Amino acid sequence: MIPATIVDLLHTGVSVNVGTRDADLMPECTRGWGIWVGADRTAVTLLLTESASAQTLDNLRNNGLIAITCSRPTDHVTCQLKGTVTRIRPATPQDYVQQQAWRRAFLGELIAVGVPAEQTDAIIMQPAVAIEMQVTGVFAQTPGPGAGEQV
Amino acid sequence: MGTVALALKDLWPCFEGIIPATIATCAKDGTPNISYVSQVHYVDPEHVAISFQFFNKTRKNIAEHPFASVMVLDPRAMQAYRLSLRYERSESSGPLFQAMSLQLQAIASHAGMSDVFRLRAADIYAVRRIERVEGFTSWPVPAQDERLPSLFIDPNLHALRVVAEQLNRTECLGELLETALRCLDEFFGLRHTMLLLVDEKRRTLQTIASRGYDENGVGSEVGFGDGLIGMVATAKLPLRLSGLDHTLRYARAVRNRAEALSGSETLCREIPLPGLSNASTQIAVPLMIRHRCLGVLVAESLEPLTLLIREEAVMAIVAGHLASGIDQSAQEADDPVAVEASITASPPVHSAVTQRSFCFYHADDCIFVDGEYLIKNVPGRILWRILKQHQDEQRVEFTNRELRMDSWLGLPEWKDNFETRLILLRKRLEQKCPDVRLVPRGRGRFALDTSVNIILSEKPA
Repeated sequence: MIPATIVDLLHTGVSVNVGTRDADLMPECTRGWGIWVGADRTAVTLLLTESASAQTLDNLRNNGLIAITCSRPTDHVTCQLKGTVTRIRPATPQDYVQQQAWRRAFLGELIAVGVPAEQTDAIIMQPAVAIEMQVTGVFAQTPGPGAGEQV
Repeated sequence: MGTVALALKDLWPCFEGIIPATIATCAKDGTPNISYVSQVHYVDPEHVAISFQFFNKTRKNIAEHPFASVMVLDPRAMQAYRLSLRYERSESSGPLFQAMSLQLQAIASHAGMSDVFRLRAADIYAVRRIERVEGFTSWPVPAQDERLPSLFIDPNLHALRVVAEQLNRTECLGELLETALRCLDEFFGLRHTMLLLVDEKRRTLQTIASRGYDENGVGSEVGFGDGLIGMVATAKLPLRLSGLDHTLRYARAVRNRAEALSGSETLCREIPLPGLSNASTQIAVPLMIRHRCLGVLVAESLEPLTLLIREEAVMAIVAGHLASGIDQSAQEADDPVAVEASITASPPVHSAVTQRSFCFYHADDCIFVDGEYLIKNVPGRILWRILKQHQDEQRVEFTNRELRMDSWLGLPEWKDNFETRLILLRKRLEQKCPDVRLVPRGRGRFALDTSVNIILSEKPA
């Protein structure tokens, strides 16, 4: 179960960075545009765009292994979730409602660290693919000596 | 997903550390990992460096499986790029490591965390593929900068920086002069150069160093106002002459003049100025400090159109460094300062000669060695003083201070650059009798080192 502090963190407009690998273990990174925690706190849903994340989606369809690092831009509080993807599907209107809430918080964070609003508005977040992920490990990742420890 | 033909240098704004990058790796068991890196550093067109501070999962994965996928962002438009990397090596010393380490320390110290943040190594990765992430932003890709991107410094400017650093590292005046001519050769292709210093009292310039000539010509003289070099010393302005006619060739002009004026007796006391007899271009720039001209730096080339405004600019900058160094050495105290022997001493010479006869001509303070002209004027007297004391008192070690205070030498009282006179003397000895040497023993002190019998004689005025 994802600890409450991490659930809170994930709902504060964190950046979403996704790591996967292919059959040859070649790693691939991409950005996700939205994340929220399921009611039972063992699963999260995140959104990716097909155009920016084609290789990532291929990898997930093939082996389902995923790592996500989420960081709050204003204070660098960061965590990493590891797990397995249980479902990949087109985003629904309900997903976009969730994404909208995350987007507001995330763009607020970016503007707070000095990214011009017109740049943040230009980020393409739709159409999206929803990734449902069962979380098997949660790690502290805030920069510094304690980074990498399991939470 | 788009890509191709992107060069690492096109991504230069991504390497300024404005937006943190992410790095994905994979463990041997297939578990992916992703983490932030504060800055990806450009190393060369095919490599980037990433700081290694902590033994974390990324480091562990790379050790098991040396591949990484890194996403960097261009802060001008939030445009993302993906780099496919392969780990090559770690550097824990050298300029790249030092620069990255200092940057990290500055940030850490700013945050009061100097003890926590420490760069263990700069990890160098080869860039296997660069991909622009399409569909990331609706902003257009920023246009290519017409200027050289900030990461990629103009090679001339970089070379000048390296030259300036090398000049500032020199320990003594002799080393400064040699370094300047060597750097002009190695970094800017100026193969034939010479440096002449002003003798205010005698209104002449004297060659103290040269590079790229068969004869080094050290000790040769040029009058103020004579030829290109003398003109530059008088006008205190740089001068560049292209398409030189035979009659303008300076070395020969000086020699002809000496011959015409004084006949062969004087001529034997003249050292020919180094010079290319068929130079097509010459540049001479003055060594200026506070409106005083301390000397002239000269470059020559056989090839037309090779010494142009660029070379003149470089020489002017180097001449400025030389002027500062020479001026500083004139003002330095004579208190002996130890300098590492390896920096200053050249290896001893093994000679087949068993004796050397020095003759001092009082009429013009001139010294001949084994019947050949060696040196005259103040350096001539300095050498005579040293040789006499060596013979009469068996002295070996000497200091600049005692010689400077020796009234017989007739040194100007104010700001005389004693060190330049020693350099001249040392180089003439190296050329004419290498078995008698003046070996530096640190700043302001030297020793007479000889493997031969020295015989002295004098010709009164």
